[in-house]
Amino acid sequence: MAKTRSKPNAAAEPKASKPDSDPSTKKTIPSSDLNPPKLFVLPKDASQSARIVTLDSPANGTPSKYLFCPEKGFYEFTRIAAPKKASRSWLITSEKGVGDEEEKPATQSNDAGQIGSGYITKTSDLFVATSLDMLFLILPILAPKSVKDTKQHFLSLDDHLDNLISLSPHWKPLLWQTSSLKRRIEKRLASICDTVDAGDETMYRLSHTKLLGVLHKKAERMTKNGLPASMEDKFVKPALNIPIMNIKRETSTLSVTSTPESQDSATTVTESQTTSATTATSFTSDPELPPTTLTTPPTIPPLLRLRTALNYLLTAYIPPTLRQPLQTLLTSPQPHSTLHDFTPLTAHLTALATLRSEATALRSISDNISRKRGFADDDEAAAEREEKKQKKEDEERRKKTESRGVKQLKKVNTSGMMKLSAFFTKAPVKKKA
Amino acid sequence: MLEARLGQAALLKKVVDAIKDLVQDCNFDCNDSGIALQAMDNSHVALVSMLLRSEAFSPFRCDRNIALGINLSSLTKVLRAAQSEDILTLKAEDSPDVVNLVFETKDSDRISEYDIKLMDIDQEHLGIPETEYAATISLPAAEFQRICRDLSALSESVSIECTKEGVKFNCSGDIGSGSIQLRAHTSVDNPKENVEIDLTEPVALTFSLKYLVNFCKASGLSDQVKLCLSNEVPLLVEYGLSSNSYLRFYLAPKIGDDE
Repeated sequence: MAKTRSKPNAAAEPKASKPDSDPSTKKTIPSSDLNPPKLFVLPKDASQSARIVTLDSPANGTPSKYLFCPEKGFYEFTRIAAPKKASRSWLITSEKGVGDEEEKPATQSNDAGQIGSGYITKTSDLFVATSLDMLFLILPILAPKSVKDTKQHFLSLDDHLDNLISLSPHWKPLLWQTSSLKRRIEKRLASICDTVDAGDETMYRLSHTKLLGVLHKKAERMTKNGLPASMEDKFVKPALNIPIMNIKRETSTLSVTSTPESQDSATTVTESQTTSATTATSFTSDPELPPTTLTTPPTIPPLLRLRTALNYLLTAYIPPTLRQPLQTLLTSPQPHSTLHDFTPLTAHLTALATLRSEATALRSISDNISRKRGFADDDEAAAEREEKKQKKEDEERRKKTESRGVKQLKKVNTSGMMKLSAFFTKAPVKKKA
Repeated sequence: MLEARLGQAALLKKVVDAIKDLVQDCNFDCNDSGIALQAMDNSHVALVSMLLRSEAFSPFRCDRNIALGINLSSLTKVLRAAQSEDILTLKAEDSPDVVNLVFETKDSDRISEYDIKLMDIDQEHLGIPETEYAATISLPAAEFQRICRDLSALSESVSIECTKEGVKFNCSGDIGSGSIQLRAHTSVDNPKENVEIDLTEPVALTFSLKYLVNFCKASGLSDQVKLCLSNEVPLLVEYGLSSNSYLRFYLAPKIGDDE
């Protein structure tokens, strides 16, 4: 894995000058370069013959830059950029002055080194080379050209390589220069393909099951130490949140997603596999019972993490034509495979979804109650309104029929005059019976 | 049911004319002793009380107590159709929706009949005790009306002072002040013009002239009007009608706000 040290970085800089980066070592910087240098973090022990190549990205087929080291294999570049609002820049100084520091804000003082007191790049992008399984790079040739084209033929390694070269011309010099590459490709190919021996040649054809197995292992590795926090927050925690239906229920999700579980070793992973199978049966046997007391079983979060990792791999590295069959393969029951059974997870998530929809339905009902008139007092309110209306009409009518004298008396200043009821007591209702 | 025949429609016409400027709607309470009415104005500072005894009618028949809630403007409209000399008959069922009025000319050649829709009126009924007033003044109704009218041009309120010497109506307003003093006098030839003052103790009270002017609309009902005053008690303005019937107005005095 790449180390963030300046030494190889600086060493790699000249190499990165091939297509777009052009580290200026000139003293004066007249104006901003059209093609400013880019900052790379390259693997420490990359060999001298390592170079950047343009190959088709497996996920979308667009030409992308990869670093190829004959010994270590392929590296993909991950761009790390500051958010647009935080305008940062890089100050690049000569090797001598910088020492071990890698990231420096532009404001930091610069030594008057050979690079003409340093170079400031406007963009704060940092390209980090991370190792990439070449499996992904050869996937495009194994994937069907279109979704409909399901028929795949067994092809010999050389045919595959020819395909590879026709797809991305950079493969050719790589294969030419690095003798071991062909062997390695063959090895990776074998791990994901069904093979047929035809005479002295071995023919290869992509096997979805094998590919999924490989991906699965990768995903397991990914989740072994827990997913990155951002992924955990985005995909795992919200998905497992149990909607609060009433106050009594406690949310148990947060406690379950704690780290100790995710740090379980590979052995416990297989163990949880078996337990998940048992919970699956119990879950499906009484699906009506849990909704009121639905809690997240401890086997669920690891499963969800695994699936999240798998989904990430599928979207980031797998050709689109392969995604669909792999997904179906993943969701379909696999009695014999070593893959995890995701059915308990799916069941749990469906239960959660129904709970959630119930909660929203309830909420919308309660919204209705609070915001609108309920049905119960509708008549009453209508009657009340009717009464009010009638009163208003009466008042209006009274006003119209008011005689002139009455109107004039309304204007009389009656201050200081007590009401007659103060003098005369109220008579019994029926005086004259 | 109710059936009350009034020899002259004028009586009811005048009564209603006098009341309609004080109250809008009121209940005519009918029982075997006659037809009574009590209502307060909107501000509840004035009260009108009318009693037309059964003797005023011929014939008078009322089997049950009936309250006829009538809008006085409506009643006025209908009564305009009656001539003063007409014979008026009021009719109503025991639990009526309408009150029926029949106007007959004296010679019974012309009979007009009207129905007025009744209303449900919620009115509080005040019990008015028999009061011994400190001062009782009888004077020609026209005289009282003239005093009120003249003084109301000057001021909003009038103070009525009653002493042994006589009764003094006093007012002062923006343009000046005015006062009218009446002495008691009795004329044998013309008892209508009598001014009688019955005084047990001197009284001085202030009243709203607008209300008094309003009361004076009943002046046509009788020649004489009786004013009864006691300190800190509502003024009683009574117009006596035939057969011991009456139309009374009560008005709360102005206290503490003399000007």
